[in-house]
Amino acid sequence: MPEKNKLARYAAIFEDITAGDIMSTRIVEISADKKIAHAKELMKIKKISGIPVVDEQRRLVGIISIEDIIHALEFNTINDPIRRIMSTRVVSLRRGDSLAAVVDKFENFKFGRFPVVDEDNRVCGIISKEDILHGILEKFNLIYIHDQKRTCTLNTEYSAITGEKLNAEEADFHYRIDSSDIDAAGTGAAMLKQFLSGKNFHNDIVRRVGVATYEAETNVVIHSKGQGDIFFYQDEDRFIVRVVDNGVGIEDLDKAMKEGYSTAPDHVRERGFGAGMGIANMKRFADKLVIISEKNTGTQVEMIFYLPTQTWPLI
Amino acid sequence: MVKVRDIVALLDAEVLSGESKLDEEVKSVGASDMISDILALTKPGMVVLTGYTYPQVIRSALVTDLLGLIVVRGKNIAPETVAYARENNFLLLRTRGYLYSSCGKIFAMGLRGGDAGKE
Repeated sequence: MPEKNKLARYAAIFEDITAGDIMSTRIVEISADKKIAHAKELMKIKKISGIPVVDEQRRLVGIISIEDIIHALEFNTINDPIRRIMSTRVVSLRRGDSLAAVVDKFENFKFGRFPVVDEDNRVCGIISKEDILHGILEKFNLIYIHDQKRTCTLNTEYSAITGEKLNAEEADFHYRIDSSDIDAAGTGAAMLKQFLSGKNFHNDIVRRVGVATYEAETNVVIHSKGQGDIFFYQDEDRFIVRVVDNGVGIEDLDKAMKEGYSTAPDHVRERGFGAGMGIANMKRFADKLVIISEKNTGTQVEMIFYLPTQTWPLI
Repeated sequence: MVKVRDIVALLDAEVLSGESKLDEEVKSVGASDMISDILALTKPGMVVLTGYTYPQVIRSALVTDLLGLIVVRGKNIAPETVAYARENNFLLLRTRGYLYSSCGKIFAMGLRGGDAGKE
């Protein structure tokens, strides 16, 4: 795939990130009525170079920077209230601002961090460049896409992780998941494992593929209420497993990621499912995992397993 | 070294499937009724005690290369479960002992769990 298309695809994926997603919520703020000396101490303790200033209702009214402190020390006004020297032309972000808007702010204003405010202009977070990086890395690990973004990622033939083309017809292994029979859950994973066992791969990777696929498959059976498929692709240096369904989707992926969280109904729990370890196990056993889900449209799980770089014959 | 055979004797267990594995070494032991836990915790040469008897448990055990399963409290096991185990020559034992007591006996014999060395 040409480099440019790849970039456009990634950009589309990250379009989904908002300021609210990546902001740090450990906010340091200071009242406009406090002394400048106070702000100086706070900056020293927190090792930061600027603090958002708020009024009695905790609404953002200004910002005080280390330059303002230096100025106050120089002119001996360090005991004046902050509101006298703070900069009132604050550049802030809104919780719902897109990642692109956030990056723009960093480009257009050379500040190290920006406060994020809610509808009432109260500070609800702060974003530094590191927060952006963290936000992106997190999305690489786990991508959660809804709404219109789905169309460019869900149900396409392109890998959400590598961008390469994955043709359903060219899969090395395919299994149609029967989601009406809970007692058959895991059959596809067992068959895939059997398929791989005959091929002289290292036991460890075969087992990892088996377990992670089992969890993805049982999720389709237990939760999706839709049709699903397992596709397996073998590359020179890796395996790719895709488990897709057209079911109800995952309502809250952040919660679903937490160990011990499960929405499985009782009749499913009776069968030993619903430990709330499904996605955690996929994460544990796959080298890379991406889950894309939209409510009432479906879920796509993509996992990559890297083959050991060199295999020596066992003696 | 503890063999499957030793555990069969210790727990006075029935061998429902996988007779050919009686001389294999048991290296580690676990106990769980949750499939995902079994999947996550399995180590090579591990047997798991469980009260769980749906055919599903055999499938998950096969996927994760479990050495064998021991069903406790003499529970009824669906014929499909046993058939599925036999088809795959998977070691399936059943004891009348309770989960706790059976674990205790095996522990006393010297076998440790998947967290050995971490506790």
